[in-house]
Amino acid sequence: MNLPLTDPLLLAQDIPESLSARLRSSGQAVCIRFSHRGDLLASGTAKGTIAIFDLETNGVARKLQGHTTGRTVQSLSWEKSGRYLLSSSIDWKVILWDLKDGSRVRVCNLGAPVYIAELHPQNWLMCVAALYEYRPVLADFTDVKRTHQHALPNLPKRGAHEAEASEKADAKHFTTVAAFTPGGTHIITGTTKGWLNLISTSTRETVYSTRLCSKPILLIRLSSSGRDLLVNASDTIIRTIKLPDLTSPTLSPDNINLEVEHKFQDVVNRLSWNHVAFSSNADYVMASTLMNHDIYIWERGHGSLVKILEGPKEELGAVEWHPSRPLVAATGVESGRVYVWGINMPQRWSALAPDFAEVEENVEYIEKEDEFDIRPAEELQQRRLDQEDEEVDVLTVDEEQIEREGGFKQEREDEFRMPVLLDMGESDSEDEIVAIGTGQFRRKSTAQDEMGFEDGEGEGAVREGGSGRKRRRAD
Amino acid sequence: MSNDFSPAGTPHRDRSPKRKRFSPTPTDPSAKLQYAYDEDQDVPSDADEAFHTPASALSPNGTTVTPKRRKTSPTRPRSLNYRPHFTLHGHKRGISCVKISPRGHLIASASADSTIKLWDARTGALQHTLEGHLAGINTITWSPDSRVLASGSDDKLIRFWEVESGKCLETVLVGHHNYVYSLAFAPKGNMLVSGSYDEAVFLWDIRTARLMRSLPAHSDPVSGVDFVRDGTLIASCSSDGLIRIWDTGTGQCLKTLVHEDNAAVTSVKFSPNGRYVLAATLDSNVRLWNYVDGRVVKTYQGHKNVKYSINACFGTYSSMAAMLEEAGSPDGEDEGEDGERDSRAKKQWAFAAIGSEDGSIVLWDVSSKEMLQRIPGNGTPVLAVDVGMEDQTIVSGGLDCCVRVWKRGLGDASETTNGDGAIEENGTAHVNGQTDAQENGGDVVVPIANGNEESTTEAVDGDGAGDEMEKAMAMVLE
Repeated sequence: MNLPLTDPLLLAQDIPESLSARLRSSGQAVCIRFSHRGDLLASGTAKGTIAIFDLETNGVARKLQGHTTGRTVQSLSWEKSGRYLLSSSIDWKVILWDLKDGSRVRVCNLGAPVYIAELHPQNWLMCVAALYEYRPVLADFTDVKRTHQHALPNLPKRGAHEAEASEKADAKHFTTVAAFTPGGTHIITGTTKGWLNLISTSTRETVYSTRLCSKPILLIRLSSSGRDLLVNASDTIIRTIKLPDLTSPTLSPDNINLEVEHKFQDVVNRLSWNHVAFSSNADYVMASTLMNHDIYIWERGHGSLVKILEGPKEELGAVEWHPSRPLVAATGVESGRVYVWGINMPQRWSALAPDFAEVEENVEYIEKEDEFDIRPAEELQQRRLDQEDEEVDVLTVDEEQIEREGGFKQEREDEFRMPVLLDMGESDSEDEIVAIGTGQFRRKSTAQDEMGFEDGEGEGAVREGGSGRKRRRAD
Repeated sequence: MSNDFSPAGTPHRDRSPKRKRFSPTPTDPSAKLQYAYDEDQDVPSDADEAFHTPASALSPNGTTVTPKRRKTSPTRPRSLNYRPHFTLHGHKRGISCVKISPRGHLIASASADSTIKLWDARTGALQHTLEGHLAGINTITWSPDSRVLASGSDDKLIRFWEVESGKCLETVLVGHHNYVYSLAFAPKGNMLVSGSYDEAVFLWDIRTARLMRSLPAHSDPVSGVDFVRDGTLIASCSSDGLIRIWDTGTGQCLKTLVHEDNAAVTSVKFSPNGRYVLAATLDSNVRLWNYVDGRVVKTYQGHKNVKYSINACFGTYSSMAAMLEEAGSPDGEDEGEDGERDSRAKKQWAFAAIGSEDGSIVLWDVSSKEMLQRIPGNGTPVLAVDVGMEDQTIVSGGLDCCVRVWKRGLGDASETTNGDGAIEENGTAHVNGQTDAQENGGDVVVPIANGNEESTTEAVDGDGAGDEMEKAMAMVLE
């Protein structure tokens, strides 16, 4: 609803500019994920806890504890409505959470540390997981009692003549990453030997394979349209790949031919990339890099670097782009804080004084014919009241408006809204490690942390970037 | 549209817009009644009336002659007849705020006696008395899930109450330097906005009881705050005469609305669809603003408000036919008509409501500015009004220390007089006639549903007005 009043120039901006917030972390965040509606951000910590941040208040909305304490949460995956969240950890477990009450709907032990687990986009009772030195698994949670686990192939699809020659090489060939296509019809996996496999969800067979490089594939991301693939491999190159329409019934595996559209890499330092992500409409690609404090954003049309987001003085781990707004979140590798970059909204002074307008240059004012005529006040008043004859509709909410609000439909019953817990304040007892200098760390008490956050300022090493913040403080 | 002024077949009568606008209370009661009768003639006749009147349901041979015009655009009622339903006694001092819960099951009333009372909306029974504030309470607001009530008081605190148990929650928002004057919950229930006598608007994260933002809002006490339906905008108003619209996300002022008279604004409320704001000012006007363009689109007049901070609010009403159907069609006979009934029931119009310092409550149609009803009172100022969006209930509270609940009468003047006697009282029409004619003031004897006597007009006026610590208190003009 704020769009009609917002400066159109700012609305046209689609890349974040500067650091706008630090989320008070509850432990050291290592992976983050925005909900589909974009109002919540889930973060998993190195200690196995999960915190759900409310992006309107930048505060913790819920905490989830269920993974083995001390084991890193590896991945998070939201169900569409935002009610369910899947988390995976190196404690071998995947947990499906119900955010209505914070309960665990399903807990499933997959028998090996999990690299990554992702929910089926249409059916939240199904997930795919890539496991450490094991075959990837398609798990079906429909049965309350028992989870059905189906192993998926590790190996690429080969012609008959290739089979024998590669037998030896297949011994240590494992899947490192798996992801559903947005339609859920296929699973795309990446392997330790640089292969990309396309697996049909229904038959659980590899329908197509291609080799991108000889090094392990680290991460696969799909755009929301499902037509673009983003692959981060340990050969320090990020690749974008155009996908065919996988939902099309006429698609035959033989016709698939994946070609690399762009390759992004740091030619000078040849540093590898920590984490990659598409922007909301896949126009941009961004990445955080090893030993570097910045986030790189490339434009996909020409493949050019368009922005380097500067922020805290620490290396950044996971990076995520908000599903609809120019907003980027990233985790700090050392502090475990979650940083958020957004667009600066300068105050328009004319908004404060209704009699003034902001103009580029002097404008000669042309008075209206009767503007300074002297008339009895009553007559003016009368006339004004008579002119109020338009139809006004104060009730109807048009569809377009709902759309703009990001699908926030009040009337819809299936719309999930997370209950607001009023006692979040003191529940944050976890210690937090804060870097106070190079190589120096200290524990930080909750009280201090709270202060720090309220100020909108970190301490010590994470102090910078506060300049980008336009927040007024009460004294 | 539906509210055509001279439907075909109506005898000609002088209905110049001018008269409509500037004599909101027709001088001749019978004229108003006559209008009501016209309405009936406008209704195409028995066949149709039968269709939507459950008692007579369908004619035996099952004729469903439902004129199309009628079906697509049900007639907008020209008047409403809210009638007393309950009078809830218990508060010892003036009532500053009443709010119906979003679920509609409870009524909360806040008073200068430092208590909040929760009443069962259906039976009128007192559920809880919430005690904890150390000074008079100015404002209350329900959380969207109806489970928590927030209150702002002259003791500078904002407290939360668990509705189910009536307990005060540990969360207390401390930060205002002066009386907390106005409150609103964000639609998602995660934030609270407060306006205070310290001239600031605070935005709170209520999960952690943390002050998120302080908006340098006004140069006088902030008398009203509200969230738009998706929570992205905040409106605030003040006795400095300004209404400001803020961006929730950035905390920046996006628009300032000011009327040239610069009268103190006492309440601001976003329309249900969020496209307008309704503001009440101490020059006895209620204005509807298009806040994007920054202009007044409607001015509603006819009440008196020069001294107290009185809130205006929106309500909806449907055609009598839809209401009758909703109220009583337990019979499955006319089930075939479901689709049509739905479409008709859906058609709703909006009204604006405000209490008046002469003790009445005034309802206007939002679009036509017609006064739909002046609910008479006993002469003591009505300071707070709220309308239940679901079941057409109005709740009011004022300096007479009573909470009054008003229900829309089933037999509207216009339609019961049609003669088929579908619904009870024929007398209603009469009462309604007088109601509209108004100016009979307090001596209209209206039967109260639960038999409570009309409360007396004691000298409570001075009570609230004299005490500076109350909201029920005068906004100093000079």
